[in-house]
Amino acid sequence: MKKLVYFSLLLFSFLSCEKEGEFTKTTTQTIDLSSAVLLKTGVFTTTSGISGSGSVKIYDDNTQRKLVLENYTIENGPDLKVYLSTTDAPTTFVNLGNLNPSTIYNIPSSVDLNVYKYVLIHCQQYNHLFAIALPN
Amino acid sequence: MKKIVLSFTLLITSYSFSQGCSDAGICSVGNGFSNPIDSLKNQLEIGNVFGKGVEDVVYISPYISYTRVFTNHFSLTTKVTFSQASGSFGTRGNIGDAFLIGNYKFTEKNNKQWSALLGIKIPFTGSNDKINNFSIPLDYQSSLGTYDLFLGADFKYKKWNFNSAIQIPVINANGNSYFDEFSASNDFPTTNLFERKSDALFRSMYTFQSKSKKFTYKPNLLFIYHLGNDTFEDTFGVRKEIPNSEGLTINANYITNYKFNDKNSIEVSLAFPILYRAIRPDGLTRSLTLGINYRYNF
Repeated sequence: MKKLVYFSLLLFSFLSCEKEGEFTKTTTQTIDLSSAVLLKTGVFTTTSGISGSGSVKIYDDNTQRKLVLENYTIENGPDLKVYLSTTDAPTTFVNLGNLNPSTIYNIPSSVDLNVYKYVLIHCQQYNHLFAIALPN
Repeated sequence: MKKIVLSFTLLITSYSFSQGCSDAGICSVGNGFSNPIDSLKNQLEIGNVFGKGVEDVVYISPYISYTRVFTNHFSLTTKVTFSQASGSFGTRGNIGDAFLIGNYKFTEKNNKQWSALLGIKIPFTGSNDKINNFSIPLDYQSSLGTYDLFLGADFKYKKWNFNSAIQIPVINANGNSYFDEFSASNDFPTTNLFERKSDALFRSMYTFQSKSKKFTYKPNLLFIYHLGNDTFEDTFGVRKEIPNSEGLTINANYITNYKFNDKNSIEVSLAFPILYRAIRPDGLTRSLTLGINYRYNF
């Protein structure tokens, strides 16, 4: 009986893996700064108990508005997202995707940046706010 | 009488129904009415389910289960599942759910017997495992991330079993964050902060044995109705229904059991859907499954 249990545990641990595939490969994104227009820039303020710093810039590259994180060193957490929000709390927002400092985030054309004026770093799964920026 | 008394039911077994029940649980719960422990009070079972899903996703889903017979009428089963999915998003494996299910069997009269079950499913994950920090669909998650309640009843008449059960998500801890619009794939619907509806099951099963009684065969049909459209939160945080995620799935399943002796047996099952829902955002999308398990009674 013990052998059965040990075998099962061994099988479980053997299969506990993570391996990237075609749709989960990291790709390098770039933005052509020579033609892009800088619309807004801001600096992140972290919430209580969160350390690190970083800034955010919003560009219009003539096709779409894009959000870029710069010098981003804010500590990592589970399930962090980048939000554009109407306030400094994640109540009315648009989710731009998973936090990755090297990602260039596309801003939907329907979003008014004068209304969704805050940039938040927010842990969606545990509903915890990590950092706030108000780009001007 | 002794046979009847000791013919307790295992509540959870390895059956690998094509809807993808290795995770949702309701399929194996309903089937468990028909698996007796002949003379011993403990049973340990290990098994594995190999599955082929939609698109290019394939699954390996091992599990371990223990059943204890407490009285002439009551038994308790625990089970822990695991699942690894591989496809275009890559490979992701994790421990899935724990099950605890109690079964009460009434005394048989005139070849007729009723039994009832009550159980819970506890998820080990919030259904938000990622690959390389990319959110991935529920098809790749080892659990649906819900705390579920099971209620079921079975009617046995001669060689036939008719059972029904309902699986109710009581607490939703699903934290999935997959967005179709952020993904390179267009094959899976958005399931950000997914909320699923209940499932209702009905199964009819016929059991017969070889002359030597070494082999037992159990062809059966399984009907599962998903009792409403599931929902998700879009990028603006607005909860939306997923149209056509409500509906009926019918699975055909053939089970063969070989009994070495009173203590040891193996079982193989083959299953595939003959009717399924138009949209299955919960990732229960197996098109073919093959399950094999080994049981040790002591």
